[in-house]
Amino acid sequence: MRLSFRDKAISGLLTVVPANERKFVDEMANFNFSQARSLKLKQVMGYDRHRIVAGPVCASDLAVAGIEHLLAGGHLVRDDIDALIVVTQSPDYLMPATSHVVQGRLGLHADMICLDINQGCAGFIVGLMQGFMLLDQPAVAKVVLVNVDVLSRKVSPRDRNSYPLIGDAASITVLERREDAGVIEAELKMDGTRREALMIPAGGFRRPSDAETAAMIEDAEGNVRSLDHLKMDGSAVFNFVMTEVPELIGGLLARTGTTVDEVDAFLCHQPNRFMLQKLADKLAVPHEKMPSNVVENFGNSSGVTIPLVTTFNLADALLAGSRKVCLAGFGVGLTWGAMLMRLGPLRFCEMIEYREDV
Amino acid sequence: MDEFLTEMSEILEDDVTMSDALGQFESWDSLASLSVMAMADSRFGVRLVPQELNPAMTLDQLYALIRSKKAS
Repeated sequence: MRLSFRDKAISGLLTVVPANERKFVDEMANFNFSQARSLKLKQVMGYDRHRIVAGPVCASDLAVAGIEHLLAGGHLVRDDIDALIVVTQSPDYLMPATSHVVQGRLGLHADMICLDINQGCAGFIVGLMQGFMLLDQPAVAKVVLVNVDVLSRKVSPRDRNSYPLIGDAASITVLERREDAGVIEAELKMDGTRREALMIPAGGFRRPSDAETAAMIEDAEGNVRSLDHLKMDGSAVFNFVMTEVPELIGGLLARTGTTVDEVDAFLCHQPNRFMLQKLADKLAVPHEKMPSNVVENFGNSSGVTIPLVTTFNLADALLAGSRKVCLAGFGVGLTWGAMLMRLGPLRFCEMIEYREDV
Repeated sequence: MDEFLTEMSEILEDDVTMSDALGQFESWDSLASLSVMAMADSRFGVRLVPQELNPAMTLDQLYALIRSKKAS
């Protein structure tokens, strides 16, 4: 579906990563694979270290820490927040919504909208869509979009498919109207028939968690996980990304009359370095224009990866000026979306650490 | 075919011949399978699905599959 937004902009980006860092080589022993095969996996996929919470840290903990940092720094004023969107797949509770939890913990005023969205790796695109739509309301001048996940708590440490790449993080994105912002063009697609490619089978109402769903079972490849854990069909996801995403981005560029040369950076979701380089090759995008260094440094934190790749690689450039960027997210649902915009100059573009020992 | 053999040798981390079966290599696993799909895509412009690859398949059969998909 084609979407376009006029005179709306991202005015600032903050990412929050746990201080706790784990290294792939220290975790290899958990997998039922030879050291040689694990090292091959590390080399091909670009795994090295990742940031995951050590204790029972929840989505709202990372979100509140990020927003408090912005309030303290004067980048955000408490009473200016007209809407708070939280995009997460690891909510604090089944009910109420995590956006309400964050609002309550921060003591924000009641004359605002709190909204949760259940989206993962395309969650930044979907969150932006929702935020920009809210800005069509005259009463909404400032939207705070939070993307946050602590999915490491739902991945089996003995699952070589998912554990080495998982990361926890949050991002706080401030969205506002800006008269000279021009038009943001986007494409968004969804396919619920492929909903099982990425899922946590148990723990909802369809299959409540019990002793049976907690049982650790070894699959044909030697990965050990339970039905309470996140399960990813790696090959299906790879084929999905290689098929749908180049077509999506290529289509968006074509219909807006934009060449690859005119785009300064392709800021994509970060599944692993391998997939991103294949994606860049298919689109004939030079590798340096599509940064792929998030997984090796922080892990894949689902909807937070686009803000992470931006704050990690482009902070100085976006504080000083603007860049033409193509954002792309793809994952659970399945959902895939891309957005073309001029990003910057930003009021803040920063990464901070969340410490559990304070 | 030389290019195919070179690529397969790299993926399977061993010397390979066209009569070898995928499953006879210790390195044949989901990562190798993914690498074969990526190689078919980038080198030959052919999209394979995981169900088309099985351990009993020989390199000859894999190459024939890629060529037939390229032709169609």
